[in-house]
Amino acid sequence: MELALPLVLFILGMLGGLSKKAFKVSSAFAALASLSIVALVFNLKPVEGKLLGLPVYIDGFSLIFMLILGILGFSASLYSIPYMERHPGKEWVYAVAYNAFLLSMFLILITSNLVWFVFFWELMTLSSFILITWDEKDFDPGIKYYIAMHILTTFPLFISLGVSYSFLGSLDAMTYPNLKSLPSSATLLLYASFLIAFMAKSGIVPFHFWVPSTYKVAPSNISSLLAGAMEKIAVFGLIRIMYTALPTPKSIGYLVALLGAVTLTVGTLYALRESDAKKLLAYHSIGQMGYIWLGIGIGLSLDSPLGALGMFAGIFHALNHSLFKGSLFLSAGSVEYATGETNLDNLGGLAERMKWTGLATLLASLAISGVPPFNGFLSKWLIYTAGYNSGDMVLSFGAVLAVFISAVTLASFIKFYTSQFGGESERYRDVSEVPLSMVVPQLILSSLCLIIGIFPALVVPLINEPIGAPISTSLYLNFDSTAFSPLIFGLLIVTLAFGTYIGLEPRGEEAEPWDCGASFIERDEYRVRAHHYYLKYEEKVGNFYAFGDWAYSVGASLVNAIVRFYVWIAKYFVKIVDTPYTKVRGVSDLRKHKVMYIDEELFLPFIRFLMVARNVLKCPSFDTLMTISLVLLLILLIFAGWGI
Amino acid sequence: MIAFTILALGIVLFLPPYLDGIARKVKARIQHRRGPPLMQTWYDLVKLLSIPSVIPTRNWLFKLYPYLAFASAIVAALLLPYGGVIPLKLGYNLIVFFYAILMVSVFLMLAGFSVQNAFSHLGSAREMMLILTVEPLLAIVYGILAYNAGSLDIGEIISNLHLTPSLIVAYAILAYSMYVESGFVPFDVAEAETEVIGGPLAEYSGRLLGIFYYAIHIKRFALLWFFVSLVVLPLVPITTQAKALLALLLQLLLTLALYPVIASLEATNARLRIDQVAKVNVRLFFASIIVFAMSFLGW
Repeated sequence: MELALPLVLFILGMLGGLSKKAFKVSSAFAALASLSIVALVFNLKPVEGKLLGLPVYIDGFSLIFMLILGILGFSASLYSIPYMERHPGKEWVYAVAYNAFLLSMFLILITSNLVWFVFFWELMTLSSFILITWDEKDFDPGIKYYIAMHILTTFPLFISLGVSYSFLGSLDAMTYPNLKSLPSSATLLLYASFLIAFMAKSGIVPFHFWVPSTYKVAPSNISSLLAGAMEKIAVFGLIRIMYTALPTPKSIGYLVALLGAVTLTVGTLYALRESDAKKLLAYHSIGQMGYIWLGIGIGLSLDSPLGALGMFAGIFHALNHSLFKGSLFLSAGSVEYATGETNLDNLGGLAERMKWTGLATLLASLAISGVPPFNGFLSKWLIYTAGYNSGDMVLSFGAVLAVFISAVTLASFIKFYTSQFGGESERYRDVSEVPLSMVVPQLILSSLCLIIGIFPALVVPLINEPIGAPISTSLYLNFDSTAFSPLIFGLLIVTLAFGTYIGLEPRGEEAEPWDCGASFIERDEYRVRAHHYYLKYEEKVGNFYAFGDWAYSVGASLVNAIVRFYVWIAKYFVKIVDTPYTKVRGVSDLRKHKVMYIDEELFLPFIRFLMVARNVLKCPSFDTLMTISLVLLLILLIFAGWGI
Repeated sequence: MIAFTILALGIVLFLPPYLDGIARKVKARIQHRRGPPLMQTWYDLVKLLSIPSVIPTRNWLFKLYPYLAFASAIVAALLLPYGGVIPLKLGYNLIVFFYAILMVSVFLMLAGFSVQNAFSHLGSAREMMLILTVEPLLAIVYGILAYNAGSLDIGEIISNLHLTPSLIVAYAILAYSMYVESGFVPFDVAEAETEVIGGPLAEYSGRLLGIFYYAIHIKRFALLWFFVSLVVLPLVPITTQAKALLALLLQLLLTLALYPVIASLEATNARLRIDQVAKVNVRLFFASIIVFAMSFLGW
């Protein structure tokens, strides 16, 4: 079965860890494997079967998400080849974790059994945790992520496993089709537990607290995969369980849409305030996941063709989000690679030095802001259409928020792009473009944004196959009377712009920007810093942030409490060598201080005794000593038995 | 059909600077001046287009943005109905139109940020904040119109609207947001010649500036024309060629009539600060949510 090909390649990638250049070899294999996944998408029909004993079920939804995983995996792996050189560590660990991460996502997409789903889900969480904490600069975000994932996804998923096991009676029977036969009371529990698990994994408010800090500390290729692929796995889960496996619940769909609307508002407005490149992108991931959930929520809650349109738009946006957010994270990584800086306040003037990265960032920024004719516009526009035409006040208001937040996204990405690439800069005069195999993946992803935007027919049939929304794509992307032709639109803009450009060609001389004669200001400082861009606006919507902070603290305090509990327990097992100055507050502290493990505590006296004994007896051989101790132990046992 | 398209193209290309000329005349009369001739803005533009520019950056996109803004403005304007004819039927849709209009601002802001100049950065950031405060109002208007007419398609909205109190308020909100988005005084915080020396345009000169001005005039015209169409076309259902011509004439007349109103508003107001604009518009947004809810109750 051709499905084994990615599997084999990923395993080869893990084995690549044995080689001397493990980063390069394993990343190359991962890229190949991802490429084979993309190839599979276009050659595979929905199937059911077995792969090395693993029950496999592939439908249209699996194919869409396989496409996402394949494209993202390929780009990020290609990017990793030079990028990981700057992030040294145990190379074989990376090889195993990185390939396991991609492989686990692939297997989640193709398995048909709930048990395997949960198993691979755990593998995904574990391997992503290893990759997130790769740089070992700051452990707390990674550990928070890991704990949050365990409390909020593993726990609910195990509940759902338990519930379905108790009704279905065997592990093999726990396939998706069988879940339909569960009684309604059990289904309700399943809805709740799955919903919480997928909310937490895709960073839906109020479970979004782990996202910003996690994406910030992870290496950029990993952040790109987390935002581009892993979050989409949660979306896949949501669709798989709520849409295809269990009977589609109207009220849950409503809830999903509502959560989506809240999340897109909260996430994006927080992103507006952010001036760290990677955190800004992370908050936008939250916001964009809100869009996706809004679309899917409309799809779950409405029966009409409009519902199908919402579902289609949500999944289309998931694909689009993977492309532009993947590209943006890679670009942020490139800028960090070249300048060592992720703070937008300190960056600037890179357009001249990093032409290709700049171009990729510009394209992806326009795409995520929904500027036509980029792909982001199409999917957002369909989400709006589904929301506004629903005739339902709540869904329609969701669309209102989505339109508003689209402007906020634009604001935030104008900031993101211009504060890095706008203007001129003395400080980064000597910066040069990143290596070719880091530039290419960015350009692949961001030009795909434009290509899919102009030729939606490339992916629309694939996405629409399992949904069956009445959407047609020839020259126009059509739904009912709603139609838009990105190709004509794009062509017109380009023709008009270049026509005028050629007709009225710009001419003139270069000169320094005019600075009102304020020559005492350093040229680099003669600009607006990233966090000052929209300060006045942020002040005016300050109440919103107050509320958002409160919501954030609710989620975060839960995890903080769990972390404290964990530390409290851990302190009994991991004895910190006490000094008057040791204070254990976070999990990182446990690693920082000199520790004594529980086994050390228990066995050290015995080992010391043996060593003393050896010194006394001058016994030459360790074996003899062990034998003696065994005899001693036996004697002790006999005494003990006799005593009883 | 073709005649209408050519007529529409003529209107889009010629009228916008001329409208500005009217506004300048009206403002002058209010201030008891004689004022420039009506064609003055055209003369200015032609002159600007013939002057070479000063290029303050090596970023090649700097030279491209004005043209992209110009193209977006024209495409946006051609998405609207002129009489019975829509010159560009590639998405006769509220959202497509507003996104195309927004693209003018997008390129304006990118242009402003592409140079190392604090004034143009300030102006561009203000332009964005202005959009941030207007966009939620527009979103509410989409919602009310879409619920009222059952579609986001401009044609279907025009033919299916039914009069309710909330619709009238929605029109008022729409008119207000158009006015703000056009950046007329007192909402000219982004360009604010006397304060941030032209904002995003601070570093533009000569031909490039001329093209940007042209684009901005067309954008203002398109926003006004959209509003005028929403007022006129539901009143004049187009059944024959004569009716179509009448509709076009009415659209034109109403546009010409509204511009002096705008000009007198401009002449009698002083520029607001950006935080004042934000405050007003955020409050207005919350008020308009009530209207939104009203419309869903059928009022």
